[in-house]
Amino acid sequence: MTGEPVSYGDLARSLATVSAQRGKLAKIETLAAALRLLSGDELAIAARLLSGSPFAEWEQAVTSVGWATLARAASAVTGWDLETIGASARAIGDLGEAVSLLLETRSGESLSIVAVDSALRRLSTMRKAAEKQTVIEDLLRRAEPVEARYLLKTLSGGLRVGADTTTVEEAIAAAFDVDREAVARARRDSGDIGETALAAREGRLAEIRFRLFHPIGFMLASPIEDPAEIEPELETYAVEDKFDGIRAHAHKSGARVALFSRTLDDVTAQFPEIASRLAQAPGEFLLDGEVVAWSGGRADSFFKLQRRLGRKAPEAELLEEIPVAFIAYDCLASDGTPLFEERWSARRAELERLAPSGGFLLSAVASAGTVAEMEELFTAARARGNEGLMFKRTDSVYQAGKRGRAWRKWKKATATLDVVVTAVEQGHGKRAGMLSDYTFAVRDGDTFLNIGKAYSGLTDEEIRKMGSRFRKITVGRYGPVRAVTAEVVLEVAFDTIQKSNRHKSGFALRFPRIARLRPDKTPADINTLDDVRELYARLTGDKTISI
Amino acid sequence: MDTDADPLRPFLEPHPEGLYSPVFEAHVDPGQAVARAILTHAHADHAAAGHGEIWATAPTLDLYRLRHPEFSGSAREIAYEEAIPGLGAVMTLHPAGHVLGSCQVRFESADASLLFTGDFKRQPCRTAKAATAPASRVLLTETTFGLPVFRFPERSRVEAILISACRDAFDEEETPVLLAAALGKSQEVALVLSEAGIPTVLHGASWKLLPAYERAGFAFPLSRPYESGPVRAGEALVVPSNCARTPLVQKIRRRRVIYLSGWATRESSRTDYDADVLIPFSDHADFPGLLAHLSEVGAESVVATHGYAADFARIVASRGVPSWALADAAERTPESP
Repeated sequence: MTGEPVSYGDLARSLATVSAQRGKLAKIETLAAALRLLSGDELAIAARLLSGSPFAEWEQAVTSVGWATLARAASAVTGWDLETIGASARAIGDLGEAVSLLLETRSGESLSIVAVDSALRRLSTMRKAAEKQTVIEDLLRRAEPVEARYLLKTLSGGLRVGADTTTVEEAIAAAFDVDREAVARARRDSGDIGETALAAREGRLAEIRFRLFHPIGFMLASPIEDPAEIEPELETYAVEDKFDGIRAHAHKSGARVALFSRTLDDVTAQFPEIASRLAQAPGEFLLDGEVVAWSGGRADSFFKLQRRLGRKAPEAELLEEIPVAFIAYDCLASDGTPLFEERWSARRAELERLAPSGGFLLSAVASAGTVAEMEELFTAARARGNEGLMFKRTDSVYQAGKRGRAWRKWKKATATLDVVVTAVEQGHGKRAGMLSDYTFAVRDGDTFLNIGKAYSGLTDEEIRKMGSRFRKITVGRYGPVRAVTAEVVLEVAFDTIQKSNRHKSGFALRFPRIARLRPDKTPADINTLDDVRELYARLTGDKTISI
Repeated sequence: MDTDADPLRPFLEPHPEGLYSPVFEAHVDPGQAVARAILTHAHADHAAAGHGEIWATAPTLDLYRLRHPEFSGSAREIAYEEAIPGLGAVMTLHPAGHVLGSCQVRFESADASLLFTGDFKRQPCRTAKAATAPASRVLLTETTFGLPVFRFPERSRVEAILISACRDAFDEEETPVLLAAALGKSQEVALVLSEAGIPTVLHGASWKLLPAYERAGFAFPLSRPYESGPVRAGEALVVPSNCARTPLVQKIRRRRVIYLSGWATRESSRTDYDADVLIPFSDHADFPGLLAHLSEVGAESVVATHGYAADFARIVASRGVPSWALADAAERTPESP
């Protein structure tokens, strides 16, 4: 298509429309209408921007702009001081929306989507916050209010219009009248919604092939609440231990290895021993599995593994002190052939074929026919230091990036603690603008020591009610966090307790979730630090903590 | 606030139950029952039950009695601009433009004057007398929308948006469900829509207040009270926003929920109220309105209360007018729209 460059405003207005639409179908039609008008690079860029990021997944790029930098840029462009910017963002529940309400008129030339794309890409190559701020100020000066709203939402990590990447896939299918599954497959294999949109328009979806070293989404499991629900169909599931580590995809071809985390970050350098073992295996493959701390022939605690995380180049002593291993449980490609569409049992067979010389550990598979057998396997998994069990339908294909019922996970909360809320902050996504994230504490004498933070497990209605209470008992504000009077008592469930210096209590809860509100209890009734020490010793068998 | 420099003195003192006027031995809009209360308007967060004596405009007294039929105290009717003399000070009530009967309260002595806005707006509306801005040295202003993000369009435009949102809903065979406060906004909305020929069905909490509006000279020929059962095609249903998630609204399968409030500025109110359309139809002043009022009153110092008081005080102070936020003593959350 030739002629005028496409304006970012058109895209932003489509997003605003989508945000106000209630039904998924209406949202898809709005996005499809926006995509239909585009072709070439502009189509690819628009498809990426509509799904929330200027980058293809495989690019591994992020704009990484902190909230403070965004606020400083907004302050410079709107003329309002930082405090007013911050207060406005809190009042509105979103910085992008607040800034769009503060902007008067734009002063610079208008924004094309190509200009937005190149500015966002420039941000990803910059290190200094001051440089990034200049780029953002330039964007905001040229932005209409609705453009500023979605630019800032893109930069702060979420469009929040009620349309995820799957919705954009469906919009591409609708726009160019192609099969939805074919679009999803092309996106998975190309790691780029933009390239996918272009191929859909040009009738080339089938030509997109999976490429190793482009990270792809992970297939996710839904929880089993009650084992009886799965009992009637147990024979269709294979059972594995659920490991408490870092989920990772291992891409390997010749001596080249890459490990990608759930967030599609390249974490290879953090685990050099895993990479070098895989590098020595013959052939090329893509495995799904878990990085775990490994000692004495079994997985060690997540707390141990945590000390290995986030270090680009771990020192030799750390490598020796906390060795790690890759336990593989799925094979998604082997010798150039993608296996996503194969059944689990066929993929498992290939995994087992690779295992003897693959340089990885193989997850063991069992089966269960009754709830009693499930319980037996569960106890055995726990005894091996693992979290619980995974149930995988043996006839299921690998649904990258989707959480379905073909895979189920079964963990049991080991215990609950009564805690008091000490701070709250706004949630993200669907719960943006609601005070849905709670920091909570246990009691030590007459002081309260934080032990964890949980995204609320409460209903929207409950969160809303709690929100107005928390607003009333706010005693201080620290950025997005409100410190509140310690009076709201909750019961939190969690999987296990770890020692941690993240919180003042010296402990952290693994997978904390709010079980229920306890209006019947006062802060004087909550669990104490001594209770936590005792639980820790009981759950971990670690007696080094004096009780 | 430094008490020596307390700008509210000598007219008002912050007490735990609300602002107190020692001259008139009365609280202004106290949050709990007191011996004598001066009421700026009849919203629940300003007009608590159980007072011994209430002073207010005639419509406010009327609305108060409709909401509190059990009230057995005495009532003193005060007209706008009527001088109420006290020991060393005179009090007058002035229109606030917020809801029917709403007033601002002004105190004046030989060498000082203070205007308390109560809840107010400067945009025109049908059911409240337009706010005036009597010159005063100190302005105690509400700041419900005291941040620059809150800028509402002209009232005539807001009304046009409301009317076309209802017509769009009718075109698609949906029932417009208007979320509007029971006292004030719902009656205003009924009048706006009836001028456009759109009949309204009013929630009982709104309907029971109509006698006060009728005595004040307003008529609602196109309104009827809600009774269980479906709303007829071509009618708009008007309910308080706290009904948004109740069966009353949720059971209407083809509905278009329209949230009418200054808070509609927040996109998140869409999920808070399960609303399809957000219209900033406000009975409070927006940020430019607060500044305009301050400028017209010509106050030398400002005390801010309700909502974003601390932020507003900081912004005004940075422009050279000494300003404070009233301490939490009298702070209450604003009545839901």
